[in-house]
Amino acid sequence: MTATILTSSVLKELLDGKNEYEVEAGYSVRDTLLKLNINPELVALVIVAGVQRSKDYIIQEKDVLKVMAIIGGG
Amino acid sequence: MNGYGGKILRVNLTTGKIAKEPTPVEVARDFIGGRGFGAYYLFKEVPQGADPLGPLNKLIISSGPMSGLMIPGAGKCDFTTKSPLTGGYASASMGGHFTAEMKYAGLDSIILEGISSKPVYLFIDIEKIELRDASEYWGQGTIEVEKQLKEKFGEEFQIAVIGPGGENAVSYACINHDFGRQAGRGGVGAVMGIKKVKAIVIHGTNSIPVADTKTYRQAGKALYKACKDASFLAEWTRYGTTVVTSWCDEVGALPTRNFSAGSFEDGKNLYGPVMREKIVITDKGCFGCPSPCGKYSRSKKYDSYVEGPEYETIGLLGSNLGISDIEAVAQANLLADDAGIDTISAGNAIGWAMECYEKGILTREDTDGLDLHFGNIEATFELLGKISRKEGLGALLAEGVKKASQKIGKGTEKFAIHVKGMEQSGYATHNATAMLLAYMTCDVGAHHNRSWAITYDIQVGRDLVVPEKVARVIWLQNFRPMFDVLGGCRLQWVELGIDRELYITALDAITGIHRSWDDYEKVGERIWNLTRMFWVRENAGFDRSWDMPSPRFYEEAPESGATKGQITKIEDVHRLLDMYYEQRGWSNEGLPTSDRLVELNLAELVA
Repeated sequence: MTATILTSSVLKELLDGKNEYEVEAGYSVRDTLLKLNINPELVALVIVAGVQRSKDYIIQEKDVLKVMAIIGGG
Repeated sequence: MNGYGGKILRVNLTTGKIAKEPTPVEVARDFIGGRGFGAYYLFKEVPQGADPLGPLNKLIISSGPMSGLMIPGAGKCDFTTKSPLTGGYASASMGGHFTAEMKYAGLDSIILEGISSKPVYLFIDIEKIELRDASEYWGQGTIEVEKQLKEKFGEEFQIAVIGPGGENAVSYACINHDFGRQAGRGGVGAVMGIKKVKAIVIHGTNSIPVADTKTYRQAGKALYKACKDASFLAEWTRYGTTVVTSWCDEVGALPTRNFSAGSFEDGKNLYGPVMREKIVITDKGCFGCPSPCGKYSRSKKYDSYVEGPEYETIGLLGSNLGISDIEAVAQANLLADDAGIDTISAGNAIGWAMECYEKGILTREDTDGLDLHFGNIEATFELLGKISRKEGLGALLAEGVKKASQKIGKGTEKFAIHVKGMEQSGYATHNATAMLLAYMTCDVGAHHNRSWAITYDIQVGRDLVVPEKVARVIWLQNFRPMFDVLGGCRLQWVELGIDRELYITALDAITGIHRSWDDYEKVGERIWNLTRMFWVRENAGFDRSWDMPSPRFYEEAPESGATKGQITKIEDVHRLLDMYYEQRGWSNEGLPTSDRLVELNLAELVA
């Protein structure tokens, strides 16, 4: 039961420079980030299949999650 | 010179003399363009002690070597002057299409000098350059005037225009362009207004010389491809800067009720997806932009259209005033844009007045009968108009929160949220020490765009005070504003994660001169020190006290939200400054040393 996280910028740096990261399904985005040693507060946006989700969203099998941090501001 | 228009245009409004001079090679070498040109001409030509609203001050408008070329976001224009808001250096960056037309008209800078005896607009159509009577436009809002000038001259002409706020020299009046883009901060519109210049109308058809056309085209295409392939292009385009609203609320950075907190209990109503669904009609970009962050919106409630609101306006005219209706924020945005006043400073000024009212320091007698409780939408609309006309309480608020609070006294200085007289932009910094330092040391006052370090705070520890954090702030201050020097937008690099080396290939091909990012950062450091010396020169007794933030961030912990009970200690504020000055090579009072100035090739200029 796996899913894929797509990242960039600071999150990519925290995931050993990888744009894509395979994660286990069945856990919330927040818990998954914590398991990856990423502070969930770094994440500004979670998108699954084009829909914005909260960090409490439970990751489903084969999900592709876009997880975005903001580094530039308004 | 490759990459340049080749000429500086001087317009003396007192005498009516218009003259062009070649862009100096050595100035291009040392200061590159844009904000760099502005800083150079400001320091060199505006005499010490000049009244910001007097004839000796100048308004310097500059493009950069990237502007007008096939580079993503190559549409940034810099407006530099001595600020009527702060008395120090002001530099405001404006997107849109104006800077491209400057280059096509062969111009790297336009320098407005003196004061006209009557309202005029500057008309530029390549070689045809004239000051024309603007009496019929004086007194009108920016949107209507831009519309009339577009109808008169055609869509290909680009227009920068001031509103009543600029005409009345509101200290934070802005300059508007393209029905929603602004040179927003520091009162550049007041300087244009006092010079009686209602608008600049510009059009050009010249080519821009490029050293290596083939490589430039390849590099430009590579940059656009990198943007197109970026993982988050769709999301960034969908929300623009409003993507940050919910995140700021979550981490306690959303300015709430005059920065008394960083989370807003009704913030959800202002989030990007809500705004997109409720009011956004379409996306709107600047010259050459592959990732348009502008959102064009329609408010059914107010039957109005506006470009925006973007994040800063949502923060300052929304949550900072206790307003949670996105349509009301959009309407306030429209009123401020049309009046030609900066939404960030205006939101701060009204927030400060609301807090004064709630504390009983200002009463209905002082507010022209307005009920200034937080959340009062109609009072906000009314005050925006009063500020732009300098009418009643609006006249006080038009001076900015520093001067207004000094006049009112009674402890209101403690909740006037500014650094060096410039109101703080949209990030509450109760517990974000790198971002706090970025505001404290920003070269124009409390503005975020030079060094946006709040993600770094969260990444390494919000209240941590270590040399690495200070080094990060300094690196950002040297590097990020280089986009304003080069005449381009930083957002593709910073938010889409574009490899910054791709820009080097393009810039080398454009200018024919190889410079690495290290070289550009050295120029950034030179400009940073020059602007610091402008503050020192123009303000007797300038010292570290000028870099202090609002006491709200080290004395009053928020009582609610994500940063409830959190505050930066005053000793940490000073430790941050100590480390910053040391790393900058400045004295303990924050003054660049003579050795540092020699090292940066600035000794002669600042002597």
